[in-house]
Amino acid sequence: MLDVSFAAATLPASGALALLVPEGGTLAGIGALADAATGGAIARAFAAAEFSGKAGQSVTILAPGAGLSRVVAVGLGAGADISVRVCEDAGGALTPLLAKEARVMLAADQLSGAQAVAVALGATLRRYRFDRYRTTEKPEDKPKFVNLVVLTDAADAAGLWGREKALAQGVFLTRDLVSEPPNVLTPVEMATRIEALRDLGVVVTVHDEPAMRALGFGALLGVSQGSAQPPRMVVMEWHGGTPGDKPVAFIGKGVTFDTGGISIKPAAGMEDMKWDMAGAGAVVGAMAALAGRRARANVVGLVGLVENMPSGTAQRPGDVVTSASGQTIEVLNTDAEGRLVLADVIWYAQHKFAPSLMVDLATLTGAIIIGLGHEHAGLFSNDDKLSEQLLAAGLAVGEKLWRLPMNRDYDKAIKSDIADMKNIGGRAAGSITAAQFIGRFVKDCPWAHLDIAGTAWAEKDTPLAAKGATAFGVRLLDRLIADREA
Amino acid sequence: MIAVTITASSTAPIVVRLVRENAVPAEYKAACAADGFSGACGTAVLLLGVTPGVLLAGVGDGADDLAYEWAGAVSAARLLGFAAIAIDAAGLSVAQAVAVATGAVLRATPQLQLRALVDEGAPKLTAIDIVTADAVLGPAWWVAAGTIRAVLLARDLVTEPANTLNPQTYVDRLAPLRDAGITIEVIDAARLLAMGAGALLAVGQGAASPPALVVLRWPGAGGVPVTFVGKGITFDTGGICIKPADKMWEMRADMAGSAAAVGAIYALALRRAPTAARAILALAENAVGAGSYRPSDVLKTLSGKTVEVVDTDAEGRLVLADALSFAARENPRAIIDLATLTGSMVTALGHVTAGFFSNDDGLADKLVNAGSLSGESVWRMPIDDSHRRALDSEIADLRHCVTERLAPDACQAAAFLREFVGATPWLHIDIAGVDSWDEADDLHPQGARGFGVRLLDRFIADHFDPA
Repeated sequence: MLDVSFAAATLPASGALALLVPEGGTLAGIGALADAATGGAIARAFAAAEFSGKAGQSVTILAPGAGLSRVVAVGLGAGADISVRVCEDAGGALTPLLAKEARVMLAADQLSGAQAVAVALGATLRRYRFDRYRTTEKPEDKPKFVNLVVLTDAADAAGLWGREKALAQGVFLTRDLVSEPPNVLTPVEMATRIEALRDLGVVVTVHDEPAMRALGFGALLGVSQGSAQPPRMVVMEWHGGTPGDKPVAFIGKGVTFDTGGISIKPAAGMEDMKWDMAGAGAVVGAMAALAGRRARANVVGLVGLVENMPSGTAQRPGDVVTSASGQTIEVLNTDAEGRLVLADVIWYAQHKFAPSLMVDLATLTGAIIIGLGHEHAGLFSNDDKLSEQLLAAGLAVGEKLWRLPMNRDYDKAIKSDIADMKNIGGRAAGSITAAQFIGRFVKDCPWAHLDIAGTAWAEKDTPLAAKGATAFGVRLLDRLIADREA
Repeated sequence: MIAVTITASSTAPIVVRLVRENAVPAEYKAACAADGFSGACGTAVLLLGVTPGVLLAGVGDGADDLAYEWAGAVSAARLLGFAAIAIDAAGLSVAQAVAVATGAVLRATPQLQLRALVDEGAPKLTAIDIVTADAVLGPAWWVAAGTIRAVLLARDLVTEPANTLNPQTYVDRLAPLRDAGITIEVIDAARLLAMGAGALLAVGQGAASPPALVVLRWPGAGGVPVTFVGKGITFDTGGICIKPADKMWEMRADMAGSAAAVGAIYALALRRAPTAARAILALAENAVGAGSYRPSDVLKTLSGKTVEVVDTDAEGRLVLADALSFAARENPRAIIDLATLTGSMVTALGHVTAGFFSNDDGLADKLVNAGSLSGESVWRMPIDDSHRRALDSEIADLRHCVTERLAPDACQAAAFLREFVGATPWLHIDIAGVDSWDEADDLHPQGARGFGVRLLDRFIADHFDPA
């Protein structure tokens, strides 16, 4: 992780300098001093590159003089009040431009403490790289950028950073989990990694297969029965709030690899199914972030971890399983397995913890990608207030949600001829009927389901994440709790 | 259309009575208890042991006029074998009585029949008496009957096959509109060429029946019109990117957007709406022919923007592009387009709710409101920056679609259309999932539903007509 430190707002005498320039391209403070010290080289470069500080613009000036190795400027765009979201994206835009500099000074003297910290967070998030398995990469091909010194006189900046650092650590934990290959990250291995959260004060309980059998988890165990890898359910409890207050519950789908089972998927693109545990990954990262910043809230995270494989012991299309709730499910497509896992874990969450609200996250349907694409995740809920809170939290952190409808008409699609319900509802409204299925396991509790199949993984670089795992949901859940703490 | 008569007494052999939940009249209690009928919405019980026979239909708590429409439809579906039925409107408000009759007529009118032989299984219901002493019902029913006629016209247009309904013959079906005071202008292919409507022309260039833009005007009480735009692909083979044969016959309905626009402006004219309106129908047949347009063709649209064709089966957005540019030139108060545009919308929202997109939050809220009041429900969907970026072309101003397996095609299509409306407040309603159903349901017969007509009529009545 990028090492972020803070220093007084003075012009550095050497090294790399990063500038954030509002629209108009006018230099102020350290930027103006640097321009003067370099004999106007920076302003000349701006003019030559037609850089005017618009959002998305950047310019790099090599060895402009005054001992500086490199000056990089990124545009902040127009607006009297630059939002922290804009600052985060500007920070994210800096990182790829600074790959060849080990240590960078960020001129944040024209920003508030919160804005400066947002830039640092953006740069940090964008800097993440999953390179555990690159054994022969030449050192010169690796990004060198490891140190960011924020030049600011804002007294609150260093203090604010503690919170954002914990958040970044949660995001990176999620990205690690999501990026790990499925031969490494099995349900047992993921449970073991979650146990490390005990160091942060999280109470971690791991339920193995016999324990889940005793709980009646017929839906989850049906998914897992075809795999050589035993399943796990892991419960994480963070007791940061008033003792006795009902917790908020986060529930994650954790299919460590999804072949589709007997209803096997086409080969093309199947490798993507290593991240079919991204919902669980997000819950784990959010719990780490909340514990890392000592959130004043009671929060419980539950993840159902299974591998979905075809084999002689795998469940078949046509099987009927009995869920922990007692409701029976006709499994008509073994590749609609995520909802089966969630059914039992959500039921357990309510019975064990009587939560004040529940949010589940799952890479649940391809239909959500066809419906919304990769910018908004789908939001389904039985509660307007919770929906509003989640929509607002999503906008605040740039993890956007779009609400989709649920109602009785859609629920009809999962009526079974021989059981209480079937696990697929046809092509039409595929994400909605999946949500209706999960909703049948929710009883009198405000609940939201986030279908993150389109947002958990990025095929190309985004402002705050290099191509790959995004950890979508970690910051959203953290913000949801933070808004409730306030 | 089924004859509806408002009368003080009826000789029909069956009378429909509406029952609120747990308020079954005393004389029917035993029979209702035997059948488990308690007055819930969507349920009905038929009692033939009395003369006339009685059909009790539930309206739940009766708080919503739509519950009465639902009860009327459920009643009619049960009574299709009777030539005449009566609705007992005593104790109902005018709106409730009208709703019951509306539901009955819209459910009981079968889709367009083109049989030469007698259909023994055809519904017999041709007459409905509304039994009431209330003279106020007459004017209210006159308004509702106009809307019903407009819905039924839209349904018939959708059902008519493409060997008889093509871009040339379409205008012949619009004679009733002329009778209602709507003016009709046809912009034929020669004029489209002179105007530079290169996208509409390209889609239609493979067909024997050339494309056309039809402009319908309802003057209302004057003023700047609201404009409806409808996708009118009278048959969609997919063109060179031809569709699979299975279910291709359904593509006769790929003009349902234009039918909804026709129905909506007809409804306004029949009720003499004060709001001025215009409907623009983008008519073409997307055929496979030696002259068909190809994937990779670059078209110059009416707006002047160039478009790279990726998939000739994404033709709806091309004809709409020119129609929207044409519509925006007159600076209408708002543009509302309707189109059976994408399979992606069916995957997203299914067959119950239509998805829509807008560049105007206020207008969007109003449409949602009209949807919930008219029973034609709509849900807003997003146009993200990423949807527009996906349309960047390497050689033209934009490409018209993306061919990835999981592409959010409905959103990308909306992003494409937005390029052609300028600053005009705009709504785009993708009705691909809701225009036709394979099976009858409580409210509709099998086939075309005329979706959009009542939605837009309500939208104009509540948000554009002077209060």
